[in-house]
Amino acid sequence: MAADLQEAGLASLVDTTISVITNDGRNIVGILRGYDQATNLILDECHERVYSSKSGVDQVVLGGLHVVRGDNIAVVGELDDDLDQQLNLSQIRAAPLKAVQH
Amino acid sequence: MADEDAATVKEPLDLIRLSLDERIYVKLRGDRELRGRLHAYDQHLNMILGEVEETITTVEIDDETYEEIIKTQKRMVPYLFVRGDGVILCAPPLRQ
Amino acid sequence: MLFYSYFKTLVGKEVTVELKNDLAITGTLHSVDQYLNVKLNNVKVVNEAKYPHMMSVRNCFIRGSVVRYVQLPPGSVDIEILHDATRREARG
Repeated sequence: MAADLQEAGLASLVDTTISVITNDGRNIVGILRGYDQATNLILDECHERVYSSKSGVDQVVLGGLHVVRGDNIAVVGELDDDLDQQLNLSQIRAAPLKAVQH
Repeated sequence: MADEDAATVKEPLDLIRLSLDERIYVKLRGDRELRGRLHAYDQHLNMILGEVEETITTVEIDDETYEEIIKTQKRMVPYLFVRGDGVILCAPPLRQ
Repeated sequence: MLFYSYFKTLVGKEVTVELKNDLAITGTLHSVDQYLNVKLNNVKVVNEAKYPHMMSVRNCFIRGSVVRYVQLPPGSVDIEILHDATRREARG
C-alpha cells in the first residue's frame, strides 16, 4: 500500500471509472480493468463523450472490453462520481479537444 | 588538465554544458521559442530554464486580401521544465 | 535520472503541466515515474470554460510523452543543486 502511494502507476484506479483523453482529442469513459508499463489500458463498459460547441455532450456507447494503446493516451483521470453527477452534460458547450501535436 | 577537459567541445552536448547558467535561445516544435537561463539539462535535452520568455508565432490569412498576418504572443514564466522531445535547436548565450 | 530525481523532490508541491494538446492542468504533484509520467491531485484545468472536458476529474495521471512544459514553483528550484547534478550527469 505504501508503495502504491508513491508510484505513478494506475494500480489505485483498477475497477474504478476513469476518464481517458486520447491523443486525437477524444474522451472515453469506462471502468479500468487492467494496464501495463506502457500505459496500455483495458477498459470495460466504455462510452465516448463527444463535445460540440453547438450542442450538448453526446454520449456514444462503445460497450464491451477495449484495449487502448498507451502511445495514444494523454491523460487518465479518476472520475469523481459526485462531481460527475453534478454535471449537466446536455448544457455543456465546448469544442472538442485538439489532437496532441508531438 | 581537468579544467581543459571541462572547456573543450567534442560533441554537441558539450556546447550546452558550457551554456549552464547562461541565457540561451531554444526553438521548439509548434512555432514556439524560449529565451531563458539554463539551469539543468540531460541527454534528451529535457531542460529547466529560469526567467523564461516564451514566444508563440501564429500566421493568419486575411479573409479578403489573402495576406498572411503574422502574430506573436509573448509571456513570462519564472521556472519552466521543458520536455526534450519538443526541442529543435538550442543556441548558446545570447549577445545582448 | 536527473529530472526523475528532481521531480521526486517536488512531490506535494503545486505545479502546472502544459500538454501538447494545449491543455494546462494545475494540481499537487502526487508522484512521478522513470518515464516522467506524473500523477496530480486536486487538479484544476486552466481556462475551464474553454476546456470543461475534465470537470469531474479530481486526480489524474498524465503520460510523460504528452507533456510540453511543467511550470515549477519558484521556491523549490535550488539552482546550485541543479547545476551540480547537471554537471555530474554530463560527465556520465
